[in-house]
Amino acid sequence: MTWLVWRQHRNQAYFAAAALVAFAVLVLITGLQMASQYHSALTACTVSHSCGNLANTLTLGTPLLSLLVTLTVVVPCLLGLFWGAPLVAREFETGTSQFAWMQSISRGRWLTAKVGWALLAAAAWGGAVSALVTWWSSPANALNQQNFQPGQFDIQGIVPVGYAVFAVALGIAAGTILRRTLPALAVTLGVFVFLRLVIGQDLRSHYLTAVTVIYRFGHAWRHPTGSYWLIAQGLIGPGGHALNTPASFSGAAVNGVPIAEIPATCRALAFQPNLKLTSCLASRGYHGFISYQPASRYWAFQGIETGIFVLLAAALIAVTAIVVLRRDA
Amino acid sequence: MTDFQSAALPAIATRGLAKHYRKRTALTDCTITVPEGRISALIGPNGAGKTTLLRLLAGLATPTAGEVAVLGATPGRDLALLAEIGFVAQEIPLYRRMSAEDHIRMGARLNPRWDGASVRQRLESLSIPLGQAVGTLSGGQQAQVALMLSLGKRPRLLLLDEPVAALDPLARRQFLATLAEAVAAGGLTAVLSSHLIADLERTCDHLILLAASRVQLCGDIDTLLAEHQVLVGPRKDTTAIERDHTLVHAVRTARQVTLLIRRKGPVIDPAFEAADVSLEELVLGYMGQDAPPAFAHLTSVGEDQ
Repeated sequence: MTWLVWRQHRNQAYFAAAALVAFAVLVLITGLQMASQYHSALTACTVSHSCGNLANTLTLGTPLLSLLVTLTVVVPCLLGLFWGAPLVAREFETGTSQFAWMQSISRGRWLTAKVGWALLAAAAWGGAVSALVTWWSSPANALNQQNFQPGQFDIQGIVPVGYAVFAVALGIAAGTILRRTLPALAVTLGVFVFLRLVIGQDLRSHYLTAVTVIYRFGHAWRHPTGSYWLIAQGLIGPGGHALNTPASFSGAAVNGVPIAEIPATCRALAFQPNLKLTSCLASRGYHGFISYQPASRYWAFQGIETGIFVLLAAALIAVTAIVVLRRDA
Repeated sequence: MTDFQSAALPAIATRGLAKHYRKRTALTDCTITVPEGRISALIGPNGAGKTTLLRLLAGLATPTAGEVAVLGATPGRDLALLAEIGFVAQEIPLYRRMSAEDHIRMGARLNPRWDGASVRQRLESLSIPLGQAVGTLSGGQQAQVALMLSLGKRPRLLLLDEPVAALDPLARRQFLATLAEAVAAGGLTAVLSSHLIADLERTCDHLILLAASRVQLCGDIDTLLAEHQVLVGPRKDTTAIERDHTLVHAVRTARQVTLLIRRKGPVIDPAFEAADVSLEELVLGYMGQDAPPAFAHLTSVGEDQ
């Protein structure tokens, strides 16, 4: 059966391998450049004692390159569309399932071989792309400490493996239930994007309870270090109520709180130097707060998110197996 | 299981077999027996349930009701049985990008008693290129590849859905000869479906006639022909005949009446002229077509799909 799976899909495998090699070459060349750029900048700033400001002065790579690497976020989805959805659906569509199922092997063995190799290939391919991206991003991770942020979190580490396995399982299940490739593609795309967004935006920040620190202005407090993930920040008024902190606000703000929300007496001091605004707020009993996921939880979050997608994939494969074993060819 | 393996038991036996889809009855109350070693013609108009019956026998579909035993086992449940059945679906599904040689190698990996050498030899004798992607072969050549692959499994039962529809007359004759040879060599039973009896008449010795999702007739062709008769007589009361025999079909014109009957004894009414029935008249009679034999012959020469 392995022979048949390979014979059927070897062209896809060759194409995928070629694309991976091309990507690897690009990543290796630019990655080495960026690493040496970062290290020479680090050496230079150590001499001039200006390393604290390095993240603001040094830009690694080019925007185009960063965009290309960020675009690897769609790789799992593409695997689901091109490997997952047609895997069983094409066989139903062309009737070859009737041919394969009349050989002297059980449907279970047929499905196991096909699904097993597809998932393995997805994990390997997703893992390889992610490994390259993770390595490529390591200078930027050290410099900007943004690898816990949504966007970077999704293309590094082990989560891309979970996404890839899930996407392919989703494609297989959709193709098996719908028996047609095109509708299966549409369902795979829709469900995958929906779940990724819902889990990434609404669920991920709650995997572990965020650490919240409330601090008084003008006093020393434990500021999070490293690549922590900022969940929320803002101001707490003297009555203990938090000031309105809009999700996205691009104007002038203090701790994310728009200037307009600040008491009028302090507002006038907003653009004056020497932190006059902060002292004004502090003297009126305002506190700052920050809610975040510490950098130390990065791998725990990677593990939890990967686990969620792998479990979803397992459920989809179980459904696929039931449908294939029970339904007519 | 052991009982069924004795030669006396039929290759196929079904009782009350039925397959319903959500809104449609594809097959109902199907009770048939096909003895071992027969080449059975499964005849019926389009949509009569031929494909459904073959898929139920192959285990590709599960029955809604009734029982089915193929070579003594239940299709779809028994892996050992799967190795004994050769099946070619109507649309001749093959992996289009794979060559015939690839399919032969695949067969060797997935079947216990694979005879790749004979498949190669048969395809070569038909001048079918083994190394070329089957998707680029002609429809007839693809059909030949699929049919020869089904024989390569060395099955004890061959189920072929419209196998000759895609073949030209010469290829048709060659294939049916190959099949007859394989059955004559022993240990093989075959069921071939077609909507035209003329396609299979010379090769088959057994008939299953389906119409409107029901079995109309099932048995050895010689026996069936001997049991039926055509009576032609002046137009008069036929109740006496209908009482003594089973009236299958009647064509009444102003001056005479032509009756197809299943005899329950000798016909002794002197008003009627009795004649042997041809296989085509028999089939058309049970399908309820009104065409008299002369026209029925013309009908059967028509294009198949």
